[in-house]
Amino acid sequence: MRRRLRTGTEVTAAAAALLLSLALALASPACGPRTGASPPASPARRVVSLAPNLTEIVFAVGAGDRLVGVSDFSDYPPAASRLPRVGGIDVSAERIASLHPDLVLASGDGGTVRGAASALAASGVPVLAVSTTSLDEVLAAIRRIGARLGRSDEADALARGLDARRRAVVARAAARRRPRAILLVWPDPPQAAGGKTFLNDVLSQAGAENLLGGRPGWPVLSAEWLATAPIEVAVLPDSPGNRPVFDRAFSAGPLSRGRIAAARIIRVGESSLTRPGPRVFDALESLAEELSP
Amino acid sequence: MKGGRPALWVGAGLLLAACVLCGLAVGGVRLSIADLVSGTGPAGQEARLIASLRFPRVLLAALVGGSLALAGASLQALLKNPLADPFLLGTSGGAAAGAALATLAGISPLLSPGAAFAGAAVSSAAVASLARRGGRLDLQRLLLAGLIANAFFSAVLLGVFSLASTEAARTMLFWMMGSLADASPAKLAALLPYAIAGAAVLLLSASRLNLFAVGEENAAALGVHTERSKALVFLASSLLTGAAVAFAGVIGFVGLLVPHAARAVAGNDQRVLLPLSAIVGAALLVAADAASRAAAAPSELPIGAVTAAIGAPLFAWLLLRNP
Amino acid sequence: MSAPRSLLEARGLEAAYGQNPALRGLDADIPAGEIVAILGENGSGKSTLLKVVARIVAPSAGEILLDGVPLGTLSRRETARRVAYVPQSAELVFSIRSLDLVLQGRAPHARGFSADSEDDRRRAFEAMRACDVEALADRDASALSGGERRRVFLARALAQEAGIWLLDEPTSGLDPRHRFQFLEALIREHRSRATTVLLVTHEIELAAELADRVILLKDGRALASGPPSEALTRESIREAFAVDARVQKDARGRPRVTMEGPAV
Repeated sequence: MRRRLRTGTEVTAAAAALLLSLALALASPACGPRTGASPPASPARRVVSLAPNLTEIVFAVGAGDRLVGVSDFSDYPPAASRLPRVGGIDVSAERIASLHPDLVLASGDGGTVRGAASALAASGVPVLAVSTTSLDEVLAAIRRIGARLGRSDEADALARGLDARRRAVVARAAARRRPRAILLVWPDPPQAAGGKTFLNDVLSQAGAENLLGGRPGWPVLSAEWLATAPIEVAVLPDSPGNRPVFDRAFSAGPLSRGRIAAARIIRVGESSLTRPGPRVFDALESLAEELSP
Repeated sequence: MKGGRPALWVGAGLLLAACVLCGLAVGGVRLSIADLVSGTGPAGQEARLIASLRFPRVLLAALVGGSLALAGASLQALLKNPLADPFLLGTSGGAAAGAALATLAGISPLLSPGAAFAGAAVSSAAVASLARRGGRLDLQRLLLAGLIANAFFSAVLLGVFSLASTEAARTMLFWMMGSLADASPAKLAALLPYAIAGAAVLLLSASRLNLFAVGEENAAALGVHTERSKALVFLASSLLTGAAVAFAGVIGFVGLLVPHAARAVAGNDQRVLLPLSAIVGAALLVAADAASRAAAAPSELPIGAVTAAIGAPLFAWLLLRNP
Repeated sequence: MSAPRSLLEARGLEAAYGQNPALRGLDADIPAGEIVAILGENGSGKSTLLKVVARIVAPSAGEILLDGVPLGTLSRRETARRVAYVPQSAELVFSIRSLDLVLQGRAPHARGFSADSEDDRRRAFEAMRACDVEALADRDASALSGGERRRVFLARALAQEAGIWLLDEPTSGLDPRHRFQFLEALIREHRSRATTVLLVTHEIELAAELADRVILLKDGRALASGPPSEALTRESIREAFAVDARVQKDARGRPRVTMEGPAV
């Protein structure tokens, strides 16, 4: 417990990464976005968000004041930190129910939710499951959440703006050579963004070639592959908590040998990079910036 | 009988050598032996790099496989039970819980074999005392006690996971599934004393274990101080299991299957069976590790999944062959 | 062998399995060179007595003297060189060659219990020949018939070269031919080696026929002890077994016991 408090940021970083892989590892993109919530009767007024990216989306469409509870990892924008917590990886269904939400936002690929969210849905609490396995899905998520909160106009504007920025990045990158890259979400055991993930979109649309793009999901990589694969660039999520863990892996751990050790390192702010919300487009831009000669 | 079966030992040696060569040659990336031996420039450099990654790993696999098989063979003879195995008796579970608790407490990973050994020893002692009835080890109770121990230590592990920082939990999760991925000379050096001490005790106990294989009373009637011998063998197999689990996670089937296979080939003289099991166990795990690297490149399969995939059908075949 | 002097003496012997007492202050004297039958109901402590002598079970009180020396002061290995135990049922889980099983009898004599020198093998083969099981040497002992296996274990006791043999119900479950073969080998080798035999049995008739001495046990104590003609009486049998028996003497003065039925 002491350790958990002492290294709070590190833990948050790691937790976010873990959440990300847990939530997205079993993604079945073939199913498409069939989120299972009934059409809104009236805008939701009491909203609980079970993931930090969803919290950010709610704030970004201007409905932050509707949030009555958020997941432990929701720390952005700063106002989110002051909201009641409902748990981290294992959220408490009872705690959520006691907040009397009229909408629960959950991550759920292909529209399916697990754990507490599915229990809540079964007991009649409206749950909106949001899939974010691509940047297109992130934009769609913004529109859908906006619609449920009666903020369709704001959401559309936000999504259009983000999409325009993305197109500009893609256009600029089209002319450049595409360095071969991987995006490591965790150093030990080394785990990277594979195909059919929003981070694969970030990496390739920013102008790099994801060496793992042909392998869907979040593969854990062998030391041998990392030492010998033609990796030119390694993109790392960066946070005060993350950095020492990556540094250890690069100095003596599984990232200390061969090609990965010699690769160019690009660090991108962890909380914007690894959360499929509005700020992932900031990360896209700053990665593209770093990749341009 | 010792040294009387050169063909057996030559065969076992060749099997191990073949598996080690295979373990060095096979993996997620191609390693050219020609480049490794005589290569210059980038090709040679890369070959040497891969070899330097693979070599400690092959050694670790051999050490872990040999330790588990030797511990399994010894427990089977000691308890006169072909189903005895560090995994089934809860020794591995105790070791895993010990190592996980040490990680939770922030003890250096190189010290965790000590904690794993302590966990394994506690588990062995608890299982053995639960299985005693009327001053004797009851075999049905023994397997049930192993089951209970496994259930208990799984609960401890889950508790540790939930209390640990997410970072630690993540690392532990991969370790639990069985992985030789972070083999390094330093870890080998840390494992070696445990393996040597445990193996020495068990190999020197082989003749006593022959008497135990007929029955504990049999050993006592032939002059063996059975309580002392049992404690020693439990301790030594805990040492081997603890070290193996601390560095490679929970790997099933090796301790159960390898002694069976070795016994089918070489009979049940522990003076032959124990060293033969160690060699075959080493070979099996080296081969399984090579398969785990090659099958899912650039990722690796958990080694425990590979041993189970190889082990379960083989075990079934052995059962059908010797009813 | 002059006046029978006690080779084994039990003094106030007590032993228990957990909470269940099996011996409750047993006193017994066993002279050298005799066949001593130990009789009693199930649970009377017969087998426990053998196991205490074989040091499989430790006594909780009292002691056993071997040639006047407390057994506990001898090393276990030393005990095993002087006392051989033939178990009632040896359930063999693993296969083992009969020869290897007999060679185990040499273990107490060998360094580190590792007995398979040429000399050990020679003695093991001799013992197997004496018990008519030489032909079974390479057979898997776990696949032998009960009678064959008993004789292999007897051969092991011979190979152990101990002066005291402890046999736990050696004839139970044997068909007449195997029973005869076993007893023949036992008596022949007992005579030629002048060993002392403690024989636990349920068969009162066998004890009457074979034993030089009978010890009747009840509830972990000795009820009667002496030559069969003295120890086996209608009264003692009734007390020990709760059965009525007719006891007659045959031409040699040995008692012949015929069961009549449960005591009323």
